[in-house]
Amino acid sequence: MVTATLVLVLSAALFFFYIQVTCQKILRRQFDREYFQSIVKANRLEFPSLRKSLEEFGMSADYPRLRMMLKCDFLALTYLLKNSANLKQRYSGEERLLILYCRWQFLSLAARHLLKFGEEPATLRLASVLQYFANVVGQRVNTVQFGNWTAADYLFYL
Amino acid sequence: MESNFVQYVVQDSGILIEAALIFYLARTSKWRGQGAVAFYLSSLVVGQLTRACFLHEYGLTSLRYYYAYWSTDFLLVMSAFGVVCLFFRRACWREEKIWRLIRIFLVFLLVLVAAISGVSLSLNRHDFFTYFLVAFNQKLYFTCLVLNTLLYLMLHRMNSADDQLELLVCGMGIQFAGPAATLALVHLTYGGRFAKWLAYQTIPLCTFGMLLVWAYVIVYVPKTAGGLGRRDPPLRPVPAELSKL
Repeated sequence: MVTATLVLVLSAALFFFYIQVTCQKILRRQFDREYFQSIVKANRLEFPSLRKSLEEFGMSADYPRLRMMLKCDFLALTYLLKNSANLKQRYSGEERLLILYCRWQFLSLAARHLLKFGEEPATLRLASVLQYFANVVGQRVNTVQFGNWTAADYLFYL
Repeated sequence: MESNFVQYVVQDSGILIEAALIFYLARTSKWRGQGAVAFYLSSLVVGQLTRACFLHEYGLTSLRYYYAYWSTDFLLVMSAFGVVCLFFRRACWREEKIWRLIRIFLVFLLVLVAAISGVSLSLNRHDFFTYFLVAFNQKLYFTCLVLNTLLYLMLHRMNSADDQLELLVCGMGIQFAGPAATLALVHLTYGGRFAKWLAYQTIPLCTFGMLLVWAYVIVYVPKTAGGLGRRDPPLRPVPAELSKL
C-alpha cells in the first residue's frame, strides 16, 4: 500500500515535470531575430509591458486586470497563429501542446492566486509562451512579401 | 463503447506515427544518429501489431492473447530498458570512465530486478507468466522511469549541449510516468472502475505524447555539431584595459 502510494505520487509528479520541461525546451527555440516586436506593436499586445513591470516592480495587486490582459493576448495570438499566413489554417502539433500548456498555466495562476503563492513565476511563464507565439506568427508573416515590404513592416506602419 | 473507440483511434494513430517515423528515419538516412529511437520504435510497432493480430484472431479473453500480451510487454519493457541504456551511452560519449561505472550499475540493476521478481516465482512455481513476468515487467518499468529521471538530472548537471537527447529523454519520461501513476492508482483502488478506465485511456495517450515529442525532435531539432559535447561556458569579459590594447 505504502509502495503503491509512493509510486503514484512520484510518477504523477514526474509526469507533470516532464511535460513542463518539454514545453520549456520547445519555448527556448532561438529565432534569428525578434519577430514578436512587430506583432506586439501591430496588435497592441500587452504581455511585454506586463513582463517588464513584473520584472521591475514585482506582482501587482490587480489580479483580474492582469489575467484579462494575458487572456486577451492569448486569444489574439492563437487566432493569429491559426489564420495569419498559415495556408493550412490549423495549428501544428507543437502549437497544440503549447496551447494546452498555456491553459494549464492559466489554471495554475488561478490556483496560485487563491493560495497567494508564486503568482509571479506562473505569469512570467505565460508571458514567455505568448512571446513564442508572437515570434512564430511574426516569422510566418515575415516570409510573405508585399512589394518591397514584408507583411510585418506593413502591419508595423499601419 | 465511445471511450473504447477513442482508445483504439489513439492506439492506431500511434502505430501510424511509429511507422511514419521509421520510414522518415530510413528515407533521410538518420538511422545512424538515432539508432536508439529507431530500435524502440521498431519494437513498439512489432509489439503492437502482434497484440492486434492475437486480439483479432483469438479475442480479448483468450489464453493465447493473454500470453501474447505479456510476452510483448516483456519485449517492450526490455526495449525501453535498452533505450535508456543507449541514451546513457550517448550522454557519456566522451566520458569513458563514467560510462564504465554506469554500465556496471545498469547491469546490476537488471540482475537485481530479475532476482526480486524471482522471489515471487519461487513462491508460486506453477505460473511463470503471472508471478514472474508480470512482476518483472512492472518493476523494470518503474526502474526505467527512475533511470530516465537520473539521466535527465545527469544531463542537466553535465550542462549537455545535446538538445535532442534532452527532449528524447523528456518524451521517454512522459511514456514511463503516466502509465506508472495510473497503474499504481489501479493497485491502490483494488482495480476500481474509474482507475481502470483512466489507465486504459492514459497508457495509449502517453505513448502518443512521447511519439509527438520524438517526431518533433527528429524533424525539427538539429543534432548538435560534434554530437554530444558540453555547452561551452560563457566567455569571460575582457577587462577594459586589455580591450584597449
